[in-house]
Amino acid sequence: MVLFPIMLKGVSMMHNNSLKRSIFLQYLSLILPGLMIFTFGLVIPLILGFKYSFTSWNGMTASKPFVGLQNYINLFKDKYVLDAWKFTIKFTLINTVVQNFFALLLAIALDGAIKAKKIYRTIFFLPALISSVIAGFIWLRMYSNILPAINKLLGTSINFLLFGNEKTVLSGLLIANNWQWIGYWMLIYLAALQSIPAELYEAAKIDGASVFDKFLHVTIPMLAPAFTICIVGITTGSLKVYELMVSSTGGGPGRASTSIIYLIYNTAINGRQYGYGCAMSVTLVAVLLLVAVIQLKFLRDKEVQM
Amino acid sequence: MNIKKTIAIMTTLTLTFTAMTGCGKKSSTETSGKADEKITLSVLAGQSTTDAGIEDMIDEALAKKYPNIKLQWECVDWGKDFQPKMQQYMQSGLPDIMIGKAQDIATYGSQGVLADLTGKSYVSNMLDAAVPGVTLNGKVYGVVYNALYQGVYYNKKIFKDNNIQIPKTLDELKAVCEKLKAKGITPFATHFIDGWSIGNITMQFAINDVFNKTPDWGDQLRAGKVSFAASPEYKNVYEYNKFIYDNTWKSETFSLQQTDCDARLVQGKAAMKVSGSWSIQNFLNVDEKFDFGIFPFPNQTGDSKLIFEPNITIMKSAKTKYSDAVDKVLEVMTTDKDLQLKIYNFTKTASMMKGVSPTFTNPSQADIDKYAKDNMIVDANLGNNQLKWGGFQEENAKDIASYLQGKMSLDGALKASDARKANSK
Repeated sequence: MVLFPIMLKGVSMMHNNSLKRSIFLQYLSLILPGLMIFTFGLVIPLILGFKYSFTSWNGMTASKPFVGLQNYINLFKDKYVLDAWKFTIKFTLINTVVQNFFALLLAIALDGAIKAKKIYRTIFFLPALISSVIAGFIWLRMYSNILPAINKLLGTSINFLLFGNEKTVLSGLLIANNWQWIGYWMLIYLAALQSIPAELYEAAKIDGASVFDKFLHVTIPMLAPAFTICIVGITTGSLKVYELMVSSTGGGPGRASTSIIYLIYNTAINGRQYGYGCAMSVTLVAVLLLVAVIQLKFLRDKEVQM
Repeated sequence: MNIKKTIAIMTTLTLTFTAMTGCGKKSSTETSGKADEKITLSVLAGQSTTDAGIEDMIDEALAKKYPNIKLQWECVDWGKDFQPKMQQYMQSGLPDIMIGKAQDIATYGSQGVLADLTGKSYVSNMLDAAVPGVTLNGKVYGVVYNALYQGVYYNKKIFKDNNIQIPKTLDELKAVCEKLKAKGITPFATHFIDGWSIGNITMQFAINDVFNKTPDWGDQLRAGKVSFAASPEYKNVYEYNKFIYDNTWKSETFSLQQTDCDARLVQGKAAMKVSGSWSIQNFLNVDEKFDFGIFPFPNQTGDSKLIFEPNITIMKSAKTKYSDAVDKVLEVMTTDKDLQLKIYNFTKTASMMKGVSPTFTNPSQADIDKYAKDNMIVDANLGNNQLKWGGFQEENAKDIASYLQGKMSLDGALKASDARKANSK
C-alpha cells in the first residue's frame, strides 16, 4: 500500500518526461529548417569570410596565403576605403534625417481628413514596390533625358545633370533614394498614428492643450516605437546602399558615389582581392551591429521614458 | 494534437528538403551516353553590347544539326559580370562552355580550368591571325569568333564639308579640333558616364604610345623598372583623356549614355568618337545610310596603328563531362556559314572564321582594309594581356575621371596606378 503512491508518482514523472521530450522534439522540428538555412546561409559564410579576411586569396586559386592582420592594417591606410566610408556616412546621415522627416510629414498629412487620401497613399507607396536597380535606371534617364527636355521646353536652364558631377552626385542619389522609400516609411508612421487612442487627444483637449501641445505630448510619445523601427531601418538600409548605384552612377563620376558595399564588391570580385574584400566586409558587419545596438539602446530607453 | 504534429512534421520535411535541394549542385545535364540522347550544356556568355540575341541564332543552328543537344544560356555583361560569375563557378564547378574575350585566356588558362583545344578540327576554321591571342604556353584554349576594330570613328560628311584630312599626328588632330570648334561643331562625342569607355580609350592610347614600343611594359612595371608616374609616355596617355575632355560636351559627358552619344555623332552634333566596332550597331540603327570611317588615334610619333580586338571567344571547361557534345557545338559554330553570316551581320563585326565575310554595309571597311594592307593594325591583347582589365584598368579609369573633374591631379592619378601595380596581372 505504501508503494502504490510512489509507483503512481513514478508513472506520472515518466509521463511528464515523455511529454516534455515530445514537446521538445516538436519545437526542434519546427526550428530545424530555419536553423539550417540560417547556419548554412549566414553563420558559415560569416565564419568563412572572417577566415578569408586573414588571407591574400584572389577568389580563384586553390591556395589561400595567410597574411595575418595585414588586410586590416591596409584598410586604415587605404584612401579609397576612407572615401567610401565618408560617402556612406554622409549618405546615411542625410538620408535618415530627410526620410524620417518627410515620411512623418506625409503620414500626418494623409492621416487627416483630406480628399482621396487613399489614392495619395498608394501613389507615394508605389515606388517602394519596384527594385532599386529599376529606380536607378529611372533616375538616370530622368536626370539625363527627361528633365533636360523639360528644361528646354520651358526655356529654363536648371542643371539637372546631378549624376554627372562629383559635387552633385550625392544630392542626385538622395533624391532618388527618398523618392523610392519615403512612401514605405510613411506607411509605418501612418499605422502608428492610426493606433493612437482618440481618448488621449480628448483628454488633452479637456486639459486645454493646443494642437501643437497635443502633437508634442501625445502624438510624438505614442510614435516612439515607430521612430525606433524607422530610424534603425533607414540607417542600416542606407549603410548598405548598393543596388541604386549599380544602375545609375556606377559608383562615379570617378569614385564620388562609391559606397562601402560597392567598394567591397568591386575589390573582392572585379578586383580579385577576395581576402581584402572580406576584411572590409568584417569591418562593415561590425559597424552595422554597433550602430544598430547603439540606436536600439538609445531609442528603447526613450520609449520607456516617454 | 495529432493534426498539429502531422502539420509540423510535414512542414519540417518540406522545408528541409527544399533547403537541401537548394544546396545541391546544379546539374547541367539531363542524360548522356548514347548519341541520340538528350544533353543540356550550360553556357556562360559574357557579352558585349553588340552580342545580345546571338544565342537564339546559335540555338536554331544547333537544333538543325544536333537536335538532341540543348544549350542552357546564362548571358551576362562581359565588363561587369563575367569575372564575378567565373570566380563563383571556379568554386562550384564551371559551365560546359564559356564565352568571353580572347584576353580571358591569359586569366583562366593559367588556372588550369580551360580545356586544351590544340589539334581540334574546328580550331583550324579560325583565321591564323586570331590563334596567337588564344594560345598560352603553346596550347590553344579558345576559338575566336569575331573581331572589333578600335580607333577614331568619324563622320565622313563633316570631314568632307569642312575639307578636313585624316590627322596622323597629334598636332594635326589638334588643328582639326580647332577648325571644328570654330565652325561650332563639337570635335569628340563621348559618354564618360561609362567608366569602361574611359578605360577603353586609355588603353587605345597606351597601345600606340606605350605597348607598341615596349611590349613588356607591364612586366617591367611589376619588376619595378618603370612606373606610371615616371613614364613620359604614360603621362601623355593620361593627358590625351584631358584633350578629349576639353574637346567634347564637358557638362554632359558624365551623364550621357552610349546610345545617345552614338546618335549624336550620326546626327552631326559631333565629328569623331574614339570607340570600337560596338558602336556600328548603334550608328546603323539610327541611320542605316550613315557614312563613317575610322582612323587610329594619332600618337606623338605619327605612326599609330588601328587596333584589332579579338572579341567573342569560346572556351571549353577542362572538366566538362560532355566533351564530345561541346565539340559538336563548336563544330556547328565554326562550320555553319549561314549562322556565321547571321551573327556577323547582326553584331556588325568582323569575321574571324576562314572563308566568311559579313555582307552588311560597313562604310569603315575600306579604311580597315587600307590599314591592314599597310600592316598598320595591332592586337589589343598587346596591352590587355600586360595590364588586366578588372581591378586595374577599370580602377585607373576611375582616377582619370576624378582627374578630369578636377578632384585629382594628373600626378595623383599616375601615382594611384603605380600603387595598385601588384594587382595589375
